[in-house]
Amino acid sequence: MSDRAGDVVPGGTDPTALPDLTHRAYSAHRIAATVTAVFATAGVSWVFITDILLYRLTRDQVLIARVETTKGWLFISLASLLLYAVTFRSSARLDRVRRLTAAAVESIGDGVLLLGRNRTIAYANPAAARLLRCPSKVLVGMDASEFSRRFRVSYPSGALVPPDQYVSQRVYDEGGPLRYKAILHPPGGHDVVISVTAAGVRLQVGEPSTWVVSVMHDITAADRLDRIRDQFFAAAAHSLKTPVAIIKADVQALFPTETPADARVAASVARQCDRIDRMVQNLLVLARAHSQTLELRPSAMELRPLIERISGESTWSHRHDLHTEVTGALPLHADPDRLALAIRNLLYEASRLSPADSRLTLMAHLEGDRIAVGVRYQALPWHDDVGETYGEYDDIGIGRSVAQTIAESHGGSLTSEDSGSERTSWLHLPGDAGAHA
Amino acid sequence: MKPCNDVLVVDDDLDMVEVMELILHDAGYPTRTALNGKQALDAVAQAMPALILLDMLMPVMNGWEFARDFRARYGREVPIVVATAAEHVHSRGDAIDADDVLPKPFEVSDLLRLVARYVPSPQPAPSY
Repeated sequence: MSDRAGDVVPGGTDPTALPDLTHRAYSAHRIAATVTAVFATAGVSWVFITDILLYRLTRDQVLIARVETTKGWLFISLASLLLYAVTFRSSARLDRVRRLTAAAVESIGDGVLLLGRNRTIAYANPAAARLLRCPSKVLVGMDASEFSRRFRVSYPSGALVPPDQYVSQRVYDEGGPLRYKAILHPPGGHDVVISVTAAGVRLQVGEPSTWVVSVMHDITAADRLDRIRDQFFAAAAHSLKTPVAIIKADVQALFPTETPADARVAASVARQCDRIDRMVQNLLVLARAHSQTLELRPSAMELRPLIERISGESTWSHRHDLHTEVTGALPLHADPDRLALAIRNLLYEASRLSPADSRLTLMAHLEGDRIAVGVRYQALPWHDDVGETYGEYDDIGIGRSVAQTIAESHGGSLTSEDSGSERTSWLHLPGDAGAHA
Repeated sequence: MKPCNDVLVVDDDLDMVEVMELILHDAGYPTRTALNGKQALDAVAQAMPALILLDMLMPVMNGWEFARDFRARYGREVPIVVATAAEHVHSRGDAIDADDVLPKPFEVSDLLRLVARYVPSPQPAPSY
């Protein structure tokens, strides 16, 4: 084991012991008052006691004067030693905390930038210098505009992030911590995908940030894996859907010429093709939601034609009596494909969890500035045991989870409402009332 | 170039081409097929179809490239319907300024309804 003499802090403090950084220490005023009080008490006691002893031992004024002078020098010497010891101990503690803090920040694998009150970089740790491929001394003093010119920070969409929109700048005004994903384009190197978290440092609650700590985590490899996974899922989904589409078209082509029994079988095959197709879409959405890469392609749309198209699909009327209740114009800004998947998932759930030949109602209407899409059905008695019966990852559970994800990614919600034996799943979505005005 | 009142099915999957051709033929629509965008351009150069059913992901020349070349040469003379199993079928249709979209898997009735919208049916179509 190497000799770590260089780590020994003057004063003999154990260098391996962590300083208490998590609790509020005694205030500086209190420490200073205690030291001063001890010093004053000791000094007064010293003068008082030694004077009494001296005047009891002798009446010789010359001797008394000499002893008083010696006492004075002795007091100054002891006070100086005490002052030295107190100052040394405090300085050693401060130095130790400073060195430990600096060593901790320098050893962090993520890039750390410390920004001062003037919103420029005051400190950059070695990981930040490596990440940005720029020496720390060049980074120090850099403001957001210069940082933008040098590193061309962009959103994942490719749009440049305006310097005043950096989380390290916004956090001065908005509080924090704030987080976002961005791409750096350092000169002469590959792009770096980073997750940035910025937090303001305040000495008192309610005060503006005097410092900002910005931590840059390199997620380039993870981001690349996400992209590969996305491409894989998209390719796998496409590869699965194509044969399903062919099978479905083939069996439907048999309908007009075959016997009623064959037609029933063909219809069943077509329904199962739709089910596989829906499951493939659900798995794709779920995988992307988990990797936070779910993409919406919203457009201005009217909900009624979508509801009519879905309600016209033979899957829902096979064993149920499907009714639709759509009231008024329902303009919204949404991804039609994702929204259709969410509604189909709720209809599928209703068809699975209600008795055969019972009534399913697909509803849509305005509720204030929101659009409510509901699927009402007569719940089977064992409805509440669905989770235990099928498990969370049955296609019902996955379908509901996907419907919720799609609703929330549109700024909406998914809820359930029970009324006697009837249950209604509600998708609430932000309306777009001005769109068709 | 002589106009032709048929449907051009462009898809790289032979089974898909075959079943679409079968359905359209049974419904009374003359049909031609192409396995990629390049073959489709050759086909329209011989005779202009009444409708193009276009897959997007194809080798040699994909749907985007075909649509760009076709529109550059012939404008909006012939409607294009995007028929794809890919995600975001509506935005893919918008990306090439398609006249309509047909997500796969599709209902045969939807396919015939779409075709009937752009191509006059020569005889009553069977009900699927």
